[in-house]
This record gives sequence, C-alpha cells and structure tokens, in this order.
Amino acid sequence: MIRPQTLTVKSFAHYPPQAQAFIADHLAVLQQIPVPLLSILLAQIIHYDSRFPAEQQTLARQLHSLKEMLAAEFAALMAPFAALELPDDLARMDWVQNPRRFNERLSASLWSTHQIDAYREAGHKYEERLADALNGEAPAIPRLAIVIVGNGASQTSRTLFRDLRPHGALFTAVQPAGTFDALVACVNKRAQTHPERYAHWYIDGGTPRSDCGEAQGITVMSYRELAAFAFKELNLMNRFAGNPQMQTPAGPEEVTSYMASLGPADLGFSERQGDPVLHEFETSIFTEGAGTQVFSTTFVQWSAREALRRAQPVTLLARFCPRQMMAPMSVLLKRNPFTQAMDPQGSLIDADMGAWYTWINQARLAGADQARFLVWFEEHELALAISPSLPRGTVSASAVTMQQVLQWMD
Amino acid sequence: MDAISRVAHERAITRRDFLRSVAIAGAGSQLFSFAPALALQPQRDRKVVVVTFGGGARDKETFAAEGQENIPHLIRELIPQATFFTQVVNRGILGHYVANASIATGVYERFDNFAHVAPENPTVFEYFRKGLRRPAQDAWVIAPSNGFNRIGQSSGALFPGGYGAEVVLPKELLASAAQREDMHPESLDFLLQDNYENPFLVSPSLHADTQLDRLQQILRISVKEIIAHAGTLSSADELSVFVMEQVMRQFSPSLLWITLHDMDVAHSGAYSLYIDAIQRTDRLCAEIWQKIESHPEYKGRTTLVILPDFGRDSDFDGAGNGFQHHRTGDALSRTTWIMALGPGIRENFTVDRPVESVDLVPTIGSWMGFETPYAKGRPVTEIL
Repeated sequence: MIRPQTLTVKSFAHYPPQAQAFIADHLAVLQQIPVPLLSILLAQIIHYDSRFPAEQQTLARQLHSLKEMLAAEFAALMAPFAALELPDDLARMDWVQNPRRFNERLSASLWSTHQIDAYREAGHKYEERLADALNGEAPAIPRLAIVIVGNGASQTSRTLFRDLRPHGALFTAVQPAGTFDALVACVNKRAQTHPERYAHWYIDGGTPRSDCGEAQGITVMSYRELAAFAFKELNLMNRFAGNPQMQTPAGPEEVTSYMASLGPADLGFSERQGDPVLHEFETSIFTEGAGTQVFSTTFVQWSAREALRRAQPVTLLARFCPRQMMAPMSVLLKRNPFTQAMDPQGSLIDADMGAWYTWINQARLAGADQARFLVWFEEHELALAISPSLPRGTVSASAVTMQQVLQWMD
Repeated sequence: MDAISRVAHERAITRRDFLRSVAIAGAGSQLFSFAPALALQPQRDRKVVVVTFGGGARDKETFAAEGQENIPHLIRELIPQATFFTQVVNRGILGHYVANASIATGVYERFDNFAHVAPENPTVFEYFRKGLRRPAQDAWVIAPSNGFNRIGQSSGALFPGGYGAEVVLPKELLASAAQREDMHPESLDFLLQDNYENPFLVSPSLHADTQLDRLQQILRISVKEIIAHAGTLSSADELSVFVMEQVMRQFSPSLLWITLHDMDVAHSGAYSLYIDAIQRTDRLCAEIWQKIESHPEYKGRTTLVILPDFGRDSDFDGAGNGFQHHRTGDALSRTTWIMALGPGIRENFTVDRPVESVDLVPTIGSWMGFETPYAKGRPVTEIL
C-alpha cells in the first residue's frame, strides 16, 4: 500500500507540469492527509493544468489553510478520514497514479461497508472548518445570474417560480418586447466594465445569440454547437458497451470509468479551435453529467451548475430551450435530437426546476448575500427578481420593462 | 439523535402536518397504539401485497405541501383507509436492486447494486414458503428487469434452496414475445424502458424465451394477447400491473410483490418526466387496491403495503444535483414513509415513531405466521 508519508515529488512524475509544481509547493501537507481525503484532492490536482483560475485558487487556499492549522486541530479534522477502513484490494490500488478510479472504488466500498455516513460526516466537518478557504472572498461586483425559461412554451397553468417566490419580487406585467435584448445588453455591459477571463458566461439550450460571445468577453456554450460532441461520446459508449470482443458485457462500473476517461480529443474537440480549458470543461459536461447528451434542458441546468461551482463567474446567463420528446433510452442514445418533435411544455417545467437549482448553486458562492438573480418566462410577462434591494415575497402587477427591473436590482 | 434520525423526525412532522392540513388523518403515537383484536393471531389465509413506490421519490414531490398535487389517489383514496408511518429510514445502500432486496430480506444487503447476484440473506418469500409449506406459485415477484431477476431467492448460504418466489420480469417477457412474433413496433418501446441509471447496462441472458414459454403455459395467456394488451399501455409500470393482474387471476398468490420503477427516469435530469411518473405511480397504486378489492380471492383478506425503496437527493446537498440522483446518502434520500391498509389495519391513523424499511419482513412474518430468523428488523407493533 502506498502511504502518504512516503510520497515524494517523483511520485507525481506523470502529472502535468503545473500540477507537479503545485504538489512540490504543498507536498509536506499532502503527506499528512489520510488516503480517503487525499485521493479526492489528487483527483482535482491531477487536472490542475486545465482547471479554471478559481479552482486553482481554491485548491491553493485549501492547502494553505491546512498547513497553517494547529497540529491538534489538524489531527482532529483528519481523524475521521483516517478511521475509515479500506478493504485490502482497495488499499493496494495505486491511488496516486489514478485517483479518479480509486475514488470510484472507494465510494462503492464506503456504501457497501456502511461507512458512507461516517464519510459524509467527516466531509461536512472538513467543509465547515475550511469554509473560508473553500469559498474565497466575495467578488468585486455582486454576482448576477439570469435564467430564461419557456422558449416556445405557451401560457401554463402551472405556478412558475414557486420555490423562488419567497426569496424575491414577482413581476407579472413585464413588457416582453425587447426583454431578451435588455438582458444581453446587461450581461455585455458587465463583461465590458469588469473584464476577466471566465467571469461572464452565457449558456444556451439552443442556438446562441451572436451578440453575446467571445467578442464581448463572454464564455459561451450552447447545446446546438456542442451536441455533435455528445453524439461522438454516445457512439463511443455504444461501441464500448457492445464490444463483441469482451467476454462479458461491460458492467456499469466499466462504462462509467470508460466515460470518465474520455478527453476532449476523444470527443473531437481537437479539431475545433478554441480554448483547451473550456474544451476540458465542455467534455466533462458530457462525460460526468447524466442526460446532458440527450436533453438540452439537462445540458443547460448541469452546465450552469458546473460553471458556477467551478469557474465561479460573476455573471451567468442561462437560457433553456425545448428538449426533444421523451423516448426510450435506447432510442434517445442513438437518434439526432434536432430532428425530433420537441416538448416545450415539459421543457418549461424542467427549466423552472433548473432556475431554482441555478439560484441554489449561486447561493453557495462567496458574496451570496449581495448576489442578484433573475428569471424570466421568455416572450411572456412573468419574471422574478432576487436582490438585496428588492422586498422578498412580493408581487408587482404594474407594467414594467426589464430595464426597470434590472435597475431596481442594482 | 444522529443527523438522519433528526431529519427523519422533521420529515415526519411535515408529513403529519400535511395530513392534518387536508383533514383526513388522525394522528397517533406509541402511547395510543394497540394491536387491533383481529390481528392478535396470525391469519393463515391472509394475503399480503407489497408495492414499492419506486424508484426513488422525494417528499417534495409527494407528501410535502407542494407535492400533494402529484399524489391525489394516495391522499384521497388510500390514506383514509390506511395506517401511515411518517418516519421510515433506509440505512442501507441506495441502489434500487440492493434496496429492494434489503426490504425483501429484512437485512441491509451489501452487494454491488449492479451485480447480478442473489441476496445473501433469506428472502421473505423463502421464509413464507418454507414456514407455511406453501407451493412455489403462492409467492410471486413482478419487477423491473434491471438486475431484479435474482430477488426471489437468496444465494443459499443461509437457507436451503427451493423456496424462492416466482419472478416475472415483464419487460423481458414482452421483448421476448415481440421477438417471437418478429415484430418490434415503436409503440412498445416505452414499455421496454429499463435502466435509467446506467442505460448501457445489458442484463445477462435471463432465458427470457424459456420463461415466456413457461409463463404462457402457467398464466394461460398467449403471446398475441401480451402484445395486443401491451399496445394499449404507455409505460413499463403499467405493463407490470397488467402482468400482476394476470398472476392474481391465475394463481391468487398469498404473497405478491411488485416493484414500480418509472420515476427513476429522473436520472435523465428532466423534472417534468419525473413528475409524470410519480403521478402515474400514484394512479397505479389506487388501481392495484381496486383490483384487490374487486377480486374474490383477495377482497377482505388482503393487506396492501406501499413504500418507496428510498428518496432522492435533497435540493440543498452540494454533493448531489437534487431530484436527479440518489447518490449523496443525505438524510432526505434515506427518509421515506410506509402505508398499510386492509383488514385489521387501523384506518386514517398516523404513526410518528421511527421505523426502518427492514422492519417490513418480520411484520409480514407476524401477520402470516412464519418465522424470519435472519431478518434484522423488528415487527411494527402498530399494525400487528
């Protein structure tokens, strides 16, 4: 079994250059961390070179905090992780070379040995103690997340934004004309006045607008442009799962591991010009997300969640568009989603939940008490705004424009 | 009180408050619970039907105030006739097959959810058949086909072989029937939905063709009838209920277990599909009770138990993605409910004390009069 105390810089010779340098800077503290936690950290560090700046800074703050901690406190924090019992076959795995694979096995082992609750408890204590390091400082400007739902959907009897209403002001007479333009203008203005890489995002479930993109300093992702890479992944998975040369059909663990092992080049990103860090992120949306390949609504929700969690942007515009109609999974995994009948009403319900999750994910970031959030039912008069400047749980039936709502949110 | 117990208690209050708010259920506690006279002795002619309300439903979409619109049949038709347990904790592995197997053995099984293995501990079907010397066709399981083919009988390490339940996997059956008829109309595809969590998972050969022959023979239903009726259905769970009805008609088994699974479509991330599936499951539960009450072999002597195998992840647990999965092991994903209804079960009654999903097997044993020596749960006194 590899013991953390025996690790040297050479142990990480196969890690990418920046990751190696990062480990060299923090080796002493890494050597003191029990395997069940260290493997989680290494699974992030091994991809250090292709991580967003916010993720790199979070890792550095985290290890710095551990290094500065009093010995007794450090020992108490690590003790629950050290107390976890690992079966022999797991303990013998090379968790340094392939921490992700080790973590998959670790998770299965913790569940089957009923240690998962102890692990969760240890994790929560760790997060609580390192909250400042994990969260970082509040951004220079308050965060703003804008979610557009209901593209193509008609009026609905469903109560929209139900979970969000207690937290914000509901506007029932927003002038629809010009609203999308106003939202894009707002995003563009923020990117212009506070230029920073990966700080402003636009994620679209259909075709993205051309006036809100790289030229405006915004990181853009869209289902229309990325679906081809999802098809490639599905084809690879179909081929892997049905490989006649395998003696037994691939089990879920093999399939999951295979998916997670796919990189941007496997999905065809190498043929696409652009940002390798972003391509890594886009790849992960398909290899780590479930349903992102086949449903544009799931793609937008998961991408927004991951962008907030990883890149920690100050501006996010997420627009949900109709997803294809439901079909058996076996059919969904093989057909072109753009040539199918769409389900706009179902997609509205999906997006309504997606908006709620986007607000929750934004609220996990530093500066949440000053964050702004807006959701709009596209081409309709309904919007909800959350801001320290707006009263919670209120309803306004007055005729307003989106520009006015945005001003009141400032 | 650990975190799971604390959240289970909070959920219990929420569920009870909700039931009170719709003014349909009286609330009770251990102090007021007693064994109804009818059930003081096990009933040898009693029948038990277990429905797992799966796979994976949260309070938010069911018994929380905002979820009530999704379960009108449970709320208005079944709960007024039922004893309802507001605090049911599953402390095992939150995978559908292993969780259902744990409910069926009364022990938190520890095997890989996706492994094609039998439960290590004896199942309720084996206890029942051996203990009461019942024939094979007096215990049936109708289950989705994602690994459940081994749920009817344990591995044999702790119990002699040969006492398992008859297991029907309706989707395997339909696929085999369609193949035999050399047809695969798209209209049947929805009924063949299988593993939402690992759509690339291929179940091992279950000898479905052989099973089809056998089931045709014993259920006395032709391939053409299966295909024809399947064409009128819209989901895999509806197909399961159809097969259940055939089993009831032909054999009237005393112990019948049906696992519903449509709502696991949540793994696709589409909330609307998850809600649709919950509403369908709610309707199917009411239909199952109607079938029981209209069947001469079941009416007046059958206890129906409905319970989710587990919940799904909380919206607020950062390790998960809300309703989509059940991977975090957070308290909400472990906390569910049970309702029981039928003769001897107090109607319109709520129990707040904590119970566990593994308590079901010894409870069924007490009802029907057989021992469950390896089960770790305890009989639930309020419904004995």
